[in-house]
Amino acid sequence: MEPSKKPEIRGTNIGIGEFKVGSFVMTSIGLGSCIAIVLHDKRKSIGGVAHVMLPNSNEKMDRPGKFADTAVPTLLEELKNQGSNKRDIIAKVAGGSSMFKQFKGNLDIGGRNIVAIKETLSQYNIPLEGEDTGGNVGRSIMYDPGQNGIIVVRRADGTCLNI
Amino acid sequence: MELTEAQLDAMKELGNIGASHAATSLSTMLMSEIYMTVPEAKVIDISDISEHFGDEIAALVVFEIQGEISPGGYVILHIPKESAINLTNTMLGSNDTDRELNEMDESALLEVGNIMVSQFLDATATLLGVVMLPSPPAIAIDMSHAAFESIVAQVAVDINEIILFKTELKSMTHDIESTIVMLPDENTLKTILSLLEKIIS
Repeated sequence: MEPSKKPEIRGTNIGIGEFKVGSFVMTSIGLGSCIAIVLHDKRKSIGGVAHVMLPNSNEKMDRPGKFADTAVPTLLEELKNQGSNKRDIIAKVAGGSSMFKQFKGNLDIGGRNIVAIKETLSQYNIPLEGEDTGGNVGRSIMYDPGQNGIIVVRRADGTCLNI
Repeated sequence: MELTEAQLDAMKELGNIGASHAATSLSTMLMSEIYMTVPEAKVIDISDISEHFGDEIAALVVFEIQGEISPGGYVILHIPKESAINLTNTMLGSNDTDRELNEMDESALLEVGNIMVSQFLDATATLLGVVMLPSPPAIAIDMSHAAFESIVAQVAVDINEIILFKTELKSMTHDIESTIVMLPDENTLKTILSLLEKIIS
């Protein structure tokens, strides 16, 4: 983790519950309790992003990007379809905040999302090589698959960092 | 989620009544005229929420709907950062606009939210003939989308569309913009729609 200059967050936005895979620049703006999971292929400079809202799909498959347990295998499968080798794939995650301190009890979906995404990653043996998670701050991220898997994170308080 | 034009119109009328009560209370607090937009009610996909709420900083004061239909969903008062500063400056008698929102602002915004949303819910509940009460408020001063999606995560577990039901309230005198958004959960929406149908027929 290192501080970075204030870059523009610009690219194809991945909205809540969506996922995309490719070699183009992807963003996910305003992550709160949601998590952006990035799977990056270190060899082929392609990757995917999902904007995960909740930990468990309970077997629902209509929006695989929406849940931690379905987003990871879906991104992995898509990357394999585009020629990726699983051993070249690494993961980075951002988000999972608790935005309302007064609602901490029932609104801490962020914390549960972080746990769920990490469990799913270890279940699929995908190494987690960077994260900026938790706390009570919103984040926007930008991922350019051509930049060695670096994720630019801009927090609501204006601080920026690369993970 | 399929809503007919008539149902959306009925929702807008409900919003109109609720928001005008909230506007009156804001007008009293600020001692200035408040302009209100025609309420919007539309069904949007959760993936498109970023088209309505971006990553600009705003204050979001959030209430859970309690009472007869509980858990009922949420009512959110959304105030962009500059407007929030203008609002608390007006209330607290300050002129300093080049600053961050502090704890004093947070309490003032919680209080304003409490008064406006109580009025909003009271008016809509009276029309519907049910008891709807706001929970104690919670506040986030952060990226709009980040705060909003954290609320959506509570109501959109099994659904992929939400009804975005909002009215803007503006004070030209003090340069303040705010939006009241109601985010009913699925059961509450059904209850509201059936109550509205009874009223219309």
